[in-house]
Amino acid sequence: MDYTLQFGQVWPYLPRLISGAILSLQIAVLAFCGGLLIGTAGATVKTFGPTWARRAIGGYVVFFTNTPQLVQIYFLYFALPDAGILLSSYAAVLTGMTLNAGAYLTEIQRAGFESRRQSEMEAAEVLGFSRLQQIRYVILPHVARILFPPLSNQFILMTLGTSMAAIFGVEELTGQAFNINAQTFRSIEVFSVTALIYVALTLIASATLGLIGKFAFRAKMRFA
Amino acid sequence: MLKGFALGAAALIGAAVMVLASASEARTLDEIVKSGVIRVGVNPTLPPLGKFDEKNEIVGFDVDFAAEIAKMLGAKLEVVQVGSPDRIPFVAAGKIDFVMGAMTRNPERAKVIDFTVPVHTEVFGVLTTEGKPFQAWQDLNRPEVTLIQVRGTTPVKFIEDNLKQAKTTLLDNYPDAVRALAQGRGDAMVDVVDFVGEHMNKHQVKWKILEAPVDVYYCGLGVAKNSTGLKDWLNVAIFETHRRGRTDELWKKWFGIDMIKPVQVSPYF
Repeated sequence: MDYTLQFGQVWPYLPRLISGAILSLQIAVLAFCGGLLIGTAGATVKTFGPTWARRAIGGYVVFFTNTPQLVQIYFLYFALPDAGILLSSYAAVLTGMTLNAGAYLTEIQRAGFESRRQSEMEAAEVLGFSRLQQIRYVILPHVARILFPPLSNQFILMTLGTSMAAIFGVEELTGQAFNINAQTFRSIEVFSVTALIYVALTLIASATLGLIGKFAFRAKMRFA
Repeated sequence: MLKGFALGAAALIGAAVMVLASASEARTLDEIVKSGVIRVGVNPTLPPLGKFDEKNEIVGFDVDFAAEIAKMLGAKLEVVQVGSPDRIPFVAAGKIDFVMGAMTRNPERAKVIDFTVPVHTEVFGVLTTEGKPFQAWQDLNRPEVTLIQVRGTTPVKFIEDNLKQAKTTLLDNYPDAVRALAQGRGDAMVDVVDFVGEHMNKHQVKWKILEAPVDVYYCGLGVAKNSTGLKDWLNVAIFETHRRGRTDELWKKWFGIDMIKPVQVSPYF
């Protein structure tokens, strides 16, 4: 085969890839935090709420976990303007990823809620805790340890899922890689470097989450 | 942890080596003639160069022109769908024998693929909506201007060189870019306005085209580097098609007008 690897041609573009990686991480962190809030609220409703509310949240979860994230963002970006709502590229991607994350995190946190100890809940009720206080002081501290691995898994998936933001004009890591590829045509070099940056990114993310988990919740660290 | 990581990295490198070792090569002219099929990359989001008809087949100027070439070669034409970002990797990897789709000839691309003599020209203009204050393309060189472009197309480089202050949003294909412009996500698009005419008609928006053409570029067929014999044969075939007037005939059929800047056909190449 007549192809010689030329990593030197890609080297000057490394700062662009790094800035794209930072943007990827930023989108993932923001979407994850938003998703956590939605997830906690959704899990609360599904565990303690009235039937109609449970069905509503159930519908939201079924819709967002059974459609591709790309289709969801596409709808927000290209279809909503016809209804009069114009979201910028960044806003559309962030909203789509947050709603998508919220659905998955609702299910994950609901599983955690289900594992609450009934005796502790009864003790809290006897002591006069409101529902909100019960969740905050009794349920969350106990399930946080158990939920930590699935939550950090979800975060890793979301970091990798930011790659579809490139289709909507958000120049994160994959978008920068596409642009550099379009200018230098060194596909093998550009995309292998990008893949390595993604690996480094997710390793940093899971190590950071592991440290947080270790010191805040005494959870087990998740590797690779 | 380290063992797992090392195994993973080794697997990745192993896969990469396997891909490099078994990558397909571009076919030579003899191989193409022997196989009886010639594979051509056409971009169906660039009407009237390429578009889908009611039977969901790709038709257009590019397909008809490629059919002429295939007839001269005595091979069957196989049309492969390509997009702007992937057409060059496709031809460099040998997935297609040559690529059309307004393949503008420039030195950057010529480092990776080879070009035949020009088939047609393309003229850049500026597409914008009524109500925008621009009179000439130089007005776009301001920091509050957002241009919507398609990834991997020639205007992107042009904008980097000549419209340094404008911001660019890059989308993946022409229908999306024109729709984004119609929705007001950007101020203007610098590209070949003839090709986006059909996309423009899909939106209820008053368009404005800045008349003074920005630049003229030549589009040829793209072939893989060192594709023995194919490029030379294509040059002869293209010259013959021009000489017989068939190119102008097909252009008139699909575009409705003559080429704005005709290709000066020369017998030497």
